[in-house]
Order: sequence, then C-alpha cells, then structure tokens
Amino acid sequence: MDFFLLLISNGLIAGAGYGLIAMGFALVYKATGVVNFALGELVMLTAYVSFSIAERTGFSFLALMAATIPVSMLIGLTLERIFIRPMLGEPPFALVMTTIGLAVILRGAVLMIWGPDPAVFNAGLPTGLLHIGPVPFYPAQLTMIAALACVTVAAWAFLRFSRIGIAMRAVASNETAALLVGVSVNRIHAFAWMFSSAIASVAGVLFAANFKLAPDLWFQGLKSFPAVIMGGLDSVIGASLAGLVIGVVENLFQGYIGQGMREISGFIVIIIVLMIRPQGLFGSRDIERV
Amino acid sequence: MRTGHYKESFGQYVALCDSPTVWAWIALLLAALLAAPLAVGAYGLTLMVSALIAVVGAVGLNVLTGATGLISLGQAGFLAVGAYTNGVLLVDYHWPLWATLPASGAVAALVSIIVGVPSLRLKGLYLAITTLAFSFIINHVILYAEGLTHGSNGIFVNGAKLFGVDVQRGAPLYYLTLGVAVLTVLATLNLSRTRIGRAWMAIRDHDIAARVMGINLVSYKLLAFVISSFIVGVAGALISLQIRFVNIDVFALILSIEALAFLILGGLGSIAGAILGAVFLSFLPEAIRLVMTLFGGSNPTSSGANLFEIRGMAYGVVIVVFLRWAPDGLIGLWRDIRKYWSNWPLAY
Repeated sequence: MDFFLLLISNGLIAGAGYGLIAMGFALVYKATGVVNFALGELVMLTAYVSFSIAERTGFSFLALMAATIPVSMLIGLTLERIFIRPMLGEPPFALVMTTIGLAVILRGAVLMIWGPDPAVFNAGLPTGLLHIGPVPFYPAQLTMIAALACVTVAAWAFLRFSRIGIAMRAVASNETAALLVGVSVNRIHAFAWMFSSAIASVAGVLFAANFKLAPDLWFQGLKSFPAVIMGGLDSVIGASLAGLVIGVVENLFQGYIGQGMREISGFIVIIIVLMIRPQGLFGSRDIERV
Repeated sequence: MRTGHYKESFGQYVALCDSPTVWAWIALLLAALLAAPLAVGAYGLTLMVSALIAVVGAVGLNVLTGATGLISLGQAGFLAVGAYTNGVLLVDYHWPLWATLPASGAVAALVSIIVGVPSLRLKGLYLAITTLAFSFIINHVILYAEGLTHGSNGIFVNGAKLFGVDVQRGAPLYYLTLGVAVLTVLATLNLSRTRIGRAWMAIRDHDIAARVMGINLVSYKLLAFVISSFIVGVAGALISLQIRFVNIDVFALILSIEALAFLILGGLGSIAGAILGAVFLSFLPEAIRLVMTLFGGSNPTSSGANLFEIRGMAYGVVIVVFLRWAPDGLIGLWRDIRKYWSNWPLAY
C-alpha cells in the first residue's frame, strides 16, 4: 500500500510539472494555432537563467521567482518578435517547423553558454523532509504541486475575467472576427508567448530544483506532449489536469509493469487517445471545407 | 521559330527529362562520382559516404513528407530499425550482405505498417506527434529486447562482405552507397510519374478532394509509409555499415529533425531538392569546421568541443532562415535563377 501511495505521490509531482508545461503549450496553441515545439527548450533556458540569478544573488524562492518571471516573459517576447512574428500568415507547417528550428538553436545556445555538466540548483527552498500521512515529501515537491494549483487558478481567472484573457479567447475562436472588433491580434500573440514562457519558467525552476539542472531538461517538453494531447491542444485547464493523470499513469506503469516504462507510457496513452478521438479528449473538432 | 518550351504529348509530360543537355550533365556528374575515390582522400570519401547515406534517407522521407504530405518526426526510429536489423542479421545470424540490406528495408516497412495503420486517422500536427511517440517507443523496445538486440551494449558490425570484398571501408563502401543512392533516386523518380505518385500528390494537396476523385486514402497512405520506411530502413543499414557500432544513442530525435531540415532546405516535395538539401547539409558541418579552424586556429580544442552544438544550431538556423526567406528551398532558388537568366533582359 505504501508502495502504491509512493507511486501516486511521485506521479502527482512529475505530473504537476507536465501539467505546467502542457499549459504553456495550450496557451500558445489556443491564441496562435501553433504548437510551440521550442517550449521544452524555453523551460530549460529560463531554468538556466534563473540558476544564474540565484547563483549571483542568493535570493529566497519567492524573490527568485519574482526576478525570473519578468526575465522569461521578456525572453518569450523577444523570441516571438524575432522568429514567429515574421512568419505570420504562413501555413501552420512552416510555423511549426520554425519552432522546431528555434528549439534546436536554443538547445545549442544553452549548451554553449552553460556547458554540458549538470548542476545542483538551489532555488532557496528548505530541504527538510515533510510527512503527509505515510508519504514523505520534499518541500520542493510540494511547491511543484502548489505551483500547478496556483497557475491553473490564475490561468482560469485570467482567461475568464481579464480583458486580455477575453481577447485571447476571442482570437482563439475566430481571428478575423476578433481583428474586426478591434482586438490587436499581434499583441495577443505576443502576450500568449509571454505568459507561456512565464509558465515555462515556473516549470523549469521547479523541475531543476526537484531533480537536477542539466542540458537535457528540454526533454521534459516532449514528455509533456501526452498531457497536451490528452487535454486537447486548445484547452488550458484540461492540460493541467491531464498532466497530473499522465504523471500518475507513468509512475504506475513504471512500478507495476516494467523498468523504463516511465519513458514511454505517456506516449502509449496518447496513441490510444488519438485512436479513439483524433482531436484529443477535450479538443474541438475541425470541420473542413473542400 | 519556337518561342518557348512546349510539351506536345503526354509522354513528354511524364518523361524523366526531355533535354539532352541535362542528360549529358547527369552523365558527367555520375562519371565524376564514379571517379571520385581516385581523386579525394580517405577523409573526403568518408564525408561523401555520409552525404550519400543522407541522400538515401532524405529521398525516403520525401516520399512520405514531401510527396504525400504526411509529416513524420519518426525518421530516427525507422533508421534504428534498419540499422539494428542489419546488425543483428549480419553479426548474429551470419546472413550475407546482399540479403540483409533488403531485409533491413523490409523489417522497417513492416514496422511502418504498425505505425501507419493507427496514423491513418490523423493528420498534420497530431500525425507528427504520433510518429514522434512511435520513434520513442521503437527505441525503448530496442533497448529492452536485449535477447535480440543486445540492448544498451550495442552491436559491433564488422566484416560485411559483398562478392568477397570488405565493403565497410574506403572505396567499396563508397561504391555500395553510391549504388544504393542511385537506385533509390531512380526508383522514387519513376514512382512519382506513375499513378501512385500522382495519387500521393493529390493527397498532399487535399486529401478529402483526392478521396472524392477516387483515390483510396487508406491504401495510398499506407503505401507511402511502407515505401518510405523501406528506403529509410536501407539507409539505416548503410549507417550501421559505416559507423560499425550500432547503439540506440545514435538514433536520437535530432536525426529526425535533421532529415526534415534536408527536405526544407532543398525544397519540400521535390526529389532533386531532397538530394540537394542532404548533400548541402552533410557538408555544412565540415565547412563550419574549416571556417572555425581558419579564424580560431589558436584554440582548436574549444572549437572542437563546441562543434557538435554549433552543428545542431546550424540545422536550426538553416530551417528558420529558409522557411522565412526561401520557403521553396534551394531548388526554388535554382528555378528562380534559371527563369531570370533565360528571360533576361526581360522581367518575365
């Protein structure tokens, strides 16, 4: 029973990370109709930037996040301006391939700036063990789950009540109509990238604080794909819940079926999901005009 | 006087090439390629072998992504299947090379049916993500099926012989890859001018419209998967012959991205483009290395350590730059230049 609880709790922690990254994917997809393959790299880049800030200043966790989030929003905005904005109006394939190219560039840049050796990231969180029932937790792990909860609520409130959030939903449902009623679609796209990289930085810092900071952190982006697909590419809240589900499924597979299943069980799940519903569980169906 | 280049019969439309000048150039190129081992050194020959293998892989992916419009991020997985089949059959079962090469393709094609059937319902991004997922699963299966594939130990591929000649080094390897590359290019060129090739193009342009015109989407999409993976599997087998040690780390995701970069750089959908892109990108790291030794000659170790990252970044930059400024790729640039000079001094 303890083993089962441990698997579930580990799953929830990893899943919280997937959920955060998946929300980053969904936010950009919802507003711009592009899957940002570079999000994993953005997670890694912002984690490294935050690492450098922490090394120089020794901030506590909240101060560190307060410093990291604006910087990463700036990074997101810059990347959008340089790489994505000029491609506006091109077919989706070209845009998606651009993000793949961007991903490769960022990966190389991080390796060249910070080097290939893994580092221990002290994000200013306490290190003592906490016990909830029979299951031990590190504070960093609980922070991950708390962060997912906070970001999910914030994203929901943002999309529901704020002016920009409502404009974002308008752009998502019909770009041309939104443009006609005076929404600046360009600005919404830029905002989507900014918020998405802000979420990526939260995920990146917490992943690095929980596991380690290494130049293979970008792979978490790909591992979050199952969550994005399961939640439906355009459902931000669905992505956060699906992340938790995928995390738990992964750990149960690993614990009960076999070694190494953690790496691929998520992908098995999405293949099954896509077989049953080609547009994801909560995604909206495309109607095609010939 | 004829004022332009007109096609007057259906035969001219489907001919591979109706200009004797172009045929002459191609013959010259082939002669140069055949004579290359005499002129370039061992290192140059190794580079050319890599480029030829890249050509085979790119032409294979072009069948799926360029001609049929099914975006695949699973190239690395099929390459791994081909390479491992070749390694296992050669080393553990002592098959002759002339049998293992087609067998590598055949096994990759079989796997592609398993991948292809579930992928039939998907298109665009969802298909790309599914093929990506399959390539991870393939790697996982190879890693954990230790009895068959030696798992994480990898396989040393040695002593492959064809007609009594060791084809894993120097000129014999070069001629083998050149032969395979020429065969694949000819085969795909000929496929693209048959009903099958035209059906693929119709599917690429609009699959629902193609279906309305009587093209069986299921069989033609599956056929594209099978033929593409066969070629890619053979390319994987060639890789295993060249690098001599097959390990799952060789077939990382970057290989799939590299393959897409070949197509985008060359011009998506064109076989000549795929060849151009593969050749160009294969020599790009070497060109970067030369430039870096020219400018950073005093500090060769740091540039050497960074070469791998710079190479990866170069792929990214090439993808981004070409999509932004030359979406039709090298072959599109070539067409523009040709049109400009043949019409000069008129604008068009």
